[in-house]
Parts: sequence; C-alpha cells; structure tokens
Amino acid sequence: MTPTGVAARRAEALGARLPPLLVAAQRVAATVAQGVHGRRRVGQGDSFWQYRPFVAGDASSRIDWRASAKADRTFIRETEWEAAQTVVLWRDASPSMEWRSGAAVPFKRERADLLLLAIAALLLRGGERVRLLGGPMRLPGGRGALEGIAQALSELQDTGGLPAEHRLPRHARVVLIGDFLSPLPQVRAVVGALAAIPVQGYLLQVLDPAEALLPYTGRVRFQGTEAESDHLVPRVEGVREAYAAALTTQVQGLAALATAAGWGFGTHRTDHAPEAALLAVYAGLAGHTGVERGVGRGRA
Amino acid sequence: MIWTAPFLLLALPLLPLLWWLLRVTPPAPRTQRFPAIRLLENLRAPETTAARTPPWLLALRMVAAGLVILGLAGPVFDAASRLPGQGPLLLAMDDGWAAAPDWAARIAAAGAVLDQAGRDNRPVRLLLTAPTEANQAPGVTPALPAAALRTRLAALRPKPWLPDRAAGALALRDVRADSVLYVADGLAAPGDDAFGAALAAVGPVRELRPNPVSARIARPPRAEADRLVAHADLLPQPTPTPLAVLAQTGDGRTLARVEVMVPAGATSAEAAIPLPPELRNTLTRLVLEGPSSAASVVLLDERWRRRPVGLVSADAGADTPLIGPLFYVRRALAPTSELREGSIDQLLAREVSVLVLADVPLDGDEARKLGAWVDKGGLLLRFAGPRMADVAGGGASDGATGTPAPPDPLLPVRLLVGDRQLGGALSWSQPAPLARLEAGSPFAGLAVPGEVLVNRQVLAEPSTQLASRTWASLADGTPLVTAAAHGAGRVVLFHVTANADWSNLPLSGLFVDMLRRLVDLSVGVAGAAPDAVLAPAETLDGFGVLSPPPPAATGLSAADLTTPAVSPRHPPGLYGPESGRRALNMGAALPGLVVAAPVPGAELATLGHQPRERAIGPSLIAAALALLALDLLIALALRGLLRRAAVAAVVLGLVAPGAHAAEAPALQTRLAFVVTDDAAVDGVSRAGLAGLTAYVNRRTAAVLGDPAPVVPGRDDLSFFPLLYWPITAAATRDPAAVAALNDYTSHGGIILIDTRNSGSGEGFAPGTDAALRKVTQGLQVPALAPLTGEHVLARSFYLLQEFPGRFDGGTIYVGRDQDRSNDSVTPVIIGGNDWAAGWAVDAGGRNPYATIPGGARQRTLAYRFGVNLVMYALTGNYKGDQVHVPAILERLGQ
Repeated sequence: MTPTGVAARRAEALGARLPPLLVAAQRVAATVAQGVHGRRRVGQGDSFWQYRPFVAGDASSRIDWRASAKADRTFIRETEWEAAQTVVLWRDASPSMEWRSGAAVPFKRERADLLLLAIAALLLRGGERVRLLGGPMRLPGGRGALEGIAQALSELQDTGGLPAEHRLPRHARVVLIGDFLSPLPQVRAVVGALAAIPVQGYLLQVLDPAEALLPYTGRVRFQGTEAESDHLVPRVEGVREAYAAALTTQVQGLAALATAAGWGFGTHRTDHAPEAALLAVYAGLAGHTGVERGVGRGRA
Repeated sequence: MIWTAPFLLLALPLLPLLWWLLRVTPPAPRTQRFPAIRLLENLRAPETTAARTPPWLLALRMVAAGLVILGLAGPVFDAASRLPGQGPLLLAMDDGWAAAPDWAARIAAAGAVLDQAGRDNRPVRLLLTAPTEANQAPGVTPALPAAALRTRLAALRPKPWLPDRAAGALALRDVRADSVLYVADGLAAPGDDAFGAALAAVGPVRELRPNPVSARIARPPRAEADRLVAHADLLPQPTPTPLAVLAQTGDGRTLARVEVMVPAGATSAEAAIPLPPELRNTLTRLVLEGPSSAASVVLLDERWRRRPVGLVSADAGADTPLIGPLFYVRRALAPTSELREGSIDQLLAREVSVLVLADVPLDGDEARKLGAWVDKGGLLLRFAGPRMADVAGGGASDGATGTPAPPDPLLPVRLLVGDRQLGGALSWSQPAPLARLEAGSPFAGLAVPGEVLVNRQVLAEPSTQLASRTWASLADGTPLVTAAAHGAGRVVLFHVTANADWSNLPLSGLFVDMLRRLVDLSVGVAGAAPDAVLAPAETLDGFGVLSPPPPAATGLSAADLTTPAVSPRHPPGLYGPESGRRALNMGAALPGLVVAAPVPGAELATLGHQPRERAIGPSLIAAALALLALDLLIALALRGLLRRAAVAAVVLGLVAPGAHAAEAPALQTRLAFVVTDDAAVDGVSRAGLAGLTAYVNRRTAAVLGDPAPVVPGRDDLSFFPLLYWPITAAATRDPAAVAALNDYTSHGGIILIDTRNSGSGEGFAPGTDAALRKVTQGLQVPALAPLTGEHVLARSFYLLQEFPGRFDGGTIYVGRDQDRSNDSVTPVIIGGNDWAAGWAVDAGGRNPYATIPGGARQRTLAYRFGVNLVMYALTGNYKGDQVHVPAILERLGQ
C-alpha cells in the first residue's frame, strides 16, 4: 500500500468513530451538482417527499395521477431536495510544518494530513463533495475518492503558509489547516478574500507543544525553518512568558478574525489526541446552524 | 617548599584578566530550529545575566587555571638542604654487605641528591666503594648528568662482600668536586683513614650514616646434643633489643623461630634452637629476622648434618643377634646415622664423627691414633665390659709383674679394678635402677624409665672431678655414664656393656635417645677431600637471597673453606657438587663489628631522617584537569547537550543492583513456604520443598527454582504459585499476614496448610488444630469439602486416589467444586499429612523422615501428590476441562 494509501486508511479509522458528516448548508453552492442525500425539504431529487394539493400555476405534468385517483382532489407529488455541499480543504505545505520538537510527537504536517483526511473521509461518507484548495478541480468519486485526496495532498505546493488560490464556488465550505504563524494582517487578508466570495469555513491551527510552551533553557540560537534570520536568545527562561503572551496574541487574533468572518476556529497541539481536534472541526462544520444530521434516513 | 620554575608564577597576576575575559564572553549558544521564530523576534528579556558565565562556574575555571599555573611552576615540598657549590658533585656510596639492611633509604637519599643536582644542572660523579661483581676495584664515574645516573642508581644492588675503601681512596686521587655526599654504612673497615682523607680532599663532605647501625652478623651455629645454638654479632645497643632467629628448610619453610633478648650493650647473642634431629637435618639456613643482608644468613651444609658413626668390632660375633656387643647400638643408630664398620685403622682412614668401642681393648698404637683423632674433635664412645673390667685401672693384666700398666688415657675417669655385681644368688644387694640424668649433660630432659636396672658395672675411682664428669648415675650414686673433654673432642664411657648382659638399659628406649644425643653432640664432617676444587653452585646476593653465582665467582678448595675469605671471587654461598655442598658463610669470614669514625671535617646527617621530597606539581595539574573535565560536563549541561538519557543510564546503573535483588524471586518460578516460629519446622519445610522441586524438575516439564522462605505481610507473595504453610502449636495470628494471604488467594494463589497431625500421624504435633483455628481467623476460606478422587487435584498429573505425605489417612479439605469464584480453583488446601517431611531430602539425597505407616509406595504417592499440587497451582483447572474427561474415563476404566 502506498504511503498516501496508509494515511487514508488511518484517517478513515480515525473518522470511523464519528457519524458521517453532513455539512449544514442554508444555501447551496451555486455550482454544486445534484447530491445524493436529501435536505428534508422540497426540491430537486429522486426521493418522495410529500403530496400537496394542486394549486393554480402548477404544471399539469406534475400531477400524480395515481394519488389523485384515490381522492377527490388533485395532488402533486413533491420530491425531497437532494444536493451535496462542496467542501474545500487546505493544508499548509510550508517547511514550518515539517518540524517536531522531539521523537515523541509527530510532525505537524503528519498530524495536519491525518486530520484533513479524517475530515475528508467523514465528508465523503456523508456524500459531500470534497476537493483540495490548490489541488485539482475534479477528483475521483466513489471508493477511490479518499485515496485521490491523499494523493493530491502529497503533491500540494507550498504557497507561503496561506492559501493562494481563492477561486471557490459561492457558499462552499472551506477548512484551512496550518500553523498560522504568519502575521495576522496576511491571515486576515486571505480569510477576508474567501469570506467575500462568500465562503464559510473553519481555521484549525496545529501547533507543536514546544511552540506552545517554549520549553528551552539557557542561551539558545533559534533558526527559522523558512527564510527567517537566526535569532539569539541569551536566556530563554527570561522570554518564556513574553513568548507565551505573543503566542496568545496570535491565537486570539486568529480567533477574532475568524469570528469576524463567521468562521470557526480551533487550536490543536500535536501531543494531544487528534480526535479532539476532529470533533471540534466536526462540530464546527456540522453544527454551524444546528440543522440536519444524516442519520436515521437509512442512507448512510 | 621550593619552586622549580618560579618565573611561571608571574602568570598568576593574569588571572584577574582571565576572570574578566571569561565574564564578558558568554557561553556558546545551543542552536535550535524553531518554526515560531517570528514570535520570538522583538521579545525583550527582562534579564540578560545568563549570557554571562555563572559566578560559581567562573570561580571553578579560575581555580583550574590557577592550579595549572601553580603546577607548572613546580612546587617541591620538603626539598633537601642544598649541597654547597655550583659545580660537579661527588656521590660516594658504600655498597658492601653492611649497606643492605637500609638499602632503600640509601637509594632514596642518593635519589634526592640526584633530584637536587638535576634541578641545579650539576653534573654528578659516582663512587661505589665495594668491588663490582666482575671483581673490578672501585672507580669513580665521569661527571654525568643526574638523569643518566638515575637509571644506574636504580640498578644498584648491595654486594655480599666487604667494601674496599683503600681502593676507593686510590680512585679518588685526582677527583675534584664542589661538594661530596658520602652515604656510609657506618662500619669500620681497612683503609678507612685513607678513604676519609681522600674524601675530605675532594671537597666539603656531607656524610649520611644510619643511626643506629643495624648491620648484624650471623655466625655459624654450634651443634649441641639436642639443639643448634645460633650465634649473632651486633653493635652495642642502648636498650635491650629482641633478636629472632629463623630456622628454615630448603623449600623456604620456617621450622622454628627463636627470640632472645639481647641486653643493652651486648655485642653478641646466642639463641638455642631446640629441634628433633630429624627436623634439624632438614634445615638449610638460619636467618636473623629483620632487615636482611648477606651476613644475616648462615647456610648450613653437610657439616651440620652428616655425622658418620664408626663401629669398631673386636671380634666376629659383634653383630650376633641379641647378644652381640654392637647389636643394640646398630639398631639404635641405623635409622638416623650413617654407620661404618671396621677396624680402628680402617675407620680413621675416613672421617667419622663418632667412634663406638664396645669393650674393645686398645693397644698403644691404636690408643695414640685414637687420642689424636679425639683431640681434633672426635667423639669416642666406649662401653665397659668384662675385658675393660679386667684391665681397668691398669695392672690387673700385668698383675704377675707387679708393675701397674699405665691407665688407659682414653677413659673419662679412672676405673677400679674389676666389676661390681648388684643382685644375684649370693648377694644382698638388688639390681640398681637409674637415678637421674644430670641437668648439665646432653641427656638432660630425657625421661628415666623405672624398669631400667643395672646388674653389673665398672666403678670409677672416686676423685674430685668425678661428679663433674658424670652424666648419668645410678640410684646409689655410682656413675653410669661419664664423659671428659679430650682436646677438641670428647670421650664418653658407659659403665655397662652395650648388650643386655650387664643391664637392661640397651633394651629401653632411653638407650636410643641417649645414643642419638651423643651423636648430635659430635662435630659433623664434610665429605670432600681437602684439596678438591669446589665450584660455586649458588651464591647469596647482597640481601641474602640465593641466586646464580656472579661472573667473577670462581671455585675454591675445601681447605680454603676452613679459613674463609669472602670476596667477589668467592662470594658467600654453596660450593661443590650437588651431593656434597659446602657452605661459605659471610658470618664466618667477617671480623667483629666496629663503628667507623666519621670522615674528618664532614657534616654528619642521619640516613633515612631526611623527609622525602614531594613534588606536587603533577598532582596540581591533575586536579586542574579534573576540574576542567567537570567544567566541560557543566558547560554541556548548561547548554542542554548533556543527554538526560545518559544521566538516567548512570543513575539506573547505580540503582540497578538493588532493584535486581528485589526482583530475584520473579526471575524463576519457585515454591515458597511460610516461615514459622520453629526453626526445625522451617528446616523440614525447606528440605521438603527442595525435594519436591527436584522431583518435579525430574519428572515434569515444569522447571522450578530453589524454594524460598517467605513471611506473609513482609515479603511480596505475588511471585509464588504455591505457598506451603505448616502450622505450629505456638503459632500466633498476625493480622498483616492474614491480610497478605487474603490478597494472595484473591489473586489466584494457592496455600497448602499442613497441621502435621492427622491420619496415621495423629498426635505427632499436638495443638496444631487449635492453632490452625486461631491463625486462620480472618482468612477468606471458601466452603470446604473433602478432597476426593474426582477433584482436579487427583488428576492434574498423576491419577491419584489417596494423597499421603509422611502420614496417611487424614482427610484433606479443599474448596467446593461448585464455587466458581476462582475458576473452581481452590485457594486453600487444608490437611495434616505432613507433606514436607514426606518430600524432604537431605544433603545426601536420602529421605530423612520415615513414612508412617511406611513403605516406598507411600513415599512415591506423596511425591505424586506433590507433583499434582504443583501442576494444579501452575495450570489451575486446565486438567478439569471437559475435553479430557473421555480420555481420563477411558484410562480409569482400564
């Protein structure tokens, strides 16, 4: 099995403990093709939804003659609106993700991949359409969809820590996974551009425990993972609190700009269990409006 | 204290500069990749002192640097006082025999001088006063650097001969030096005056001599009848000094150690070494205990051991069994002495120590020869007899002429004519017993047996000397053995015959002891011809150790040995062929000990009292290196590079032995027994479980370790599958133990409780039933049922119907089968068959406790029950599984 295949299996195993994810959508993305499961409202679809009396203006071709023959009135057969939401996923491919503080924790990119694929697996089980931001526009559907995503994920190009492509269908959903250590204005610009489409989404910040706690001591010369210049800290213990404050500022800034755009936001540390982060994203996507859950229809 | 490189101390003022440099130079940072580096920028640390080295680390480095400077400057403690002058230095050393006892101090003193000369860059000339092993006269070396002489000094050894100071004085004729150090042995020797003058002429002299002079001389010992008397010369000591002599054999064993106290001021001492003749003959050397030299060793050769005894037989019947005059003498001496037989002329042609004349009349010529022989040291042993009684006192045989013949000169006392008869048909007197052996005689200390009776004897003519010449006398005071010195030798007369005619003395053990002591009293002889040249075989070195002879050693004639002169050509040692070694002893050749006068005008110092120089520079540098190594570790730790794992490994390594001991029971499956208050019961338990373990290991696939004694509540029981608990009548309840046992059984442990008094053993251990009820209070025992053949215990390995131990027939209780709480495995088995005693084996592999009612079958069944028990404990209800029931039923049905 290829490495991407392994990642896909692991992600599926992780997502298997959650019910299929149905993205709450009040409005369908304009370009979305017909979906595979109902929205519990009248609309385009194959499944029977209800009979309603014929009113003036309805096309006579819509009359259900078999039902009408049983009663005095004329009925129109309505079907359930069945459509799929498009969810676009993105993961930071910059070198800063290829880092971990010790052998006990996974690389940030590994954890981000796992979470992304788990979300994708959940979405695919829910019948949603999933693609990668910055990846190919069309991905194979069906059983090979997850592996296709994993394959595309491994070929994702570094775009400087933030997504570069903003061509998204309106009312699509987007999930951005990265460390989001870029300056806040840059993040705000990206989120603003996406929100203006309009697109709703979720920011998931993945941090290494060392990034969260700065556990080093003494005189340390820090080297960046990207093009940053070195930075010599004479006494790391002395700046630990200041660093914690700076990190808090960054996280709070991210949370604030996400909230301003109507997005969800979460932070995940690689030494914590991925299930917690997955659940947070799950809740952020599914419970955004607290509507439908696909269970109970026997379609999952 | 002096400094060998004092200018280096100028570097000490640089230390503050180093302090400042170290302070301003921060330690090297550790490099760390970090993605969130952007957040770190623009952070201002409230304190920046960590950029500097911590003060204590700074102090550590300063101390290390200071130690390096001090160490390189070369401090030397206790440096010897300087010898005057700047130019060449003369080092004169006595290396004769007397230098050996304190040789190490001499070499140290000379080494100190070489150290000093090396520091001052002074050349040194060396003069050794004893001739070399190659018999070269003493000479002065050219001026050499101290380093070159040091190797030579290390190779120096004292010589086992006298120093030749006269030759030394000659060698010093043209030598000039700025100062002279003379390491003297302190003993006077020929040529001292000339040597002292020559030394004084060379330059200012400092003389080191031992105080007191410890050289001692062991002189050749003197053989006496029952002892060897060692003789030693020493210089007068101000206080009484102990002196110990060791008598050693050829293989180095010390057979005797004799210590004498030498009075203050005495110059010689004697120590008697009492040893039986058999042991004495194995001695090869006498050693003065203490500092050794060639003169403190006396080598013993054949002269101290070999004493041929000549038996003069007057007639052909001398050796007739039981009645021959020499029959008893021969049997008394043959085991210990070399016996020769023949006429007087034949015997005197070779060397003999003792001549035995058993009632042999002497004619004038023979008497003259014998007299000359005795004068040279021979011991003539004569026995009386009818012929002597006839001629004694002279005149008897010539009674016809009326002119008395001259008295026999080779008799210790004059004898009365005729013999005296004691007891007999016509006599009132009784045979006389032996009264005593005189204290001053060689026979002193021998036990006098009461049954020795003398019937006839020859009588001595009373005289003033008679008492002093008597060695043994009869109860009526008449002498039995008399002796007199005759020149260097002795004449001894037994006033009875050498056979049992006149007395039964020759039949007693006393006779043998007396003869042996007399032989030991004689002077030994050496075998070699006087003009034979004896090659050196082994010689003594300066420390009195036998070693191969030096190159200059040559052979010497046996005659030279009598007037020995020790020299490089003839070092002390053993000469001659393997069969007839002759010893040349230093002590025989040396003159008496006299303290030498000091060199005129010399500054005197005592040898060995100079404190040893201690150069502490290397130690300081080593300490500095240790500190720097510590600093390296600290620096690594500060930078976080010291791997915590390494530290953990070290700590674990230190802790591991203790942990290991605690886990030992877990490494192997083993049975355990509860320690009781009765050591005997514990012994039985241990032996029983050991026997069962051996049986199980032999018969089954289970491999058990040695059984372990446990105390519930104190030891961890969780390692043991089965616990054997013998109940004693005096057992008391221990709540902690009960709690531990409850915990044990609730986790699957099985306890075999044995009251040891049921069935056929009823009454063997009274009171244990009551004790059982008492001690098991609180123990969680399930509902019990008697053990039957249906129980898993009866089929877990062997198929059993009865379960005996040492006893048989008692009911055994186990948990009821219906109790499913523990997979139907009973946590306790209670019985009283004394299983441990049934299983017990002792060290010899036997069963020490008889089975009751008995029989090999019961023993076998006991072991089988034990195996079933172990299997039950190890496998639980596995054998109770339904899967096996058909097979078991089939076998049961057969």
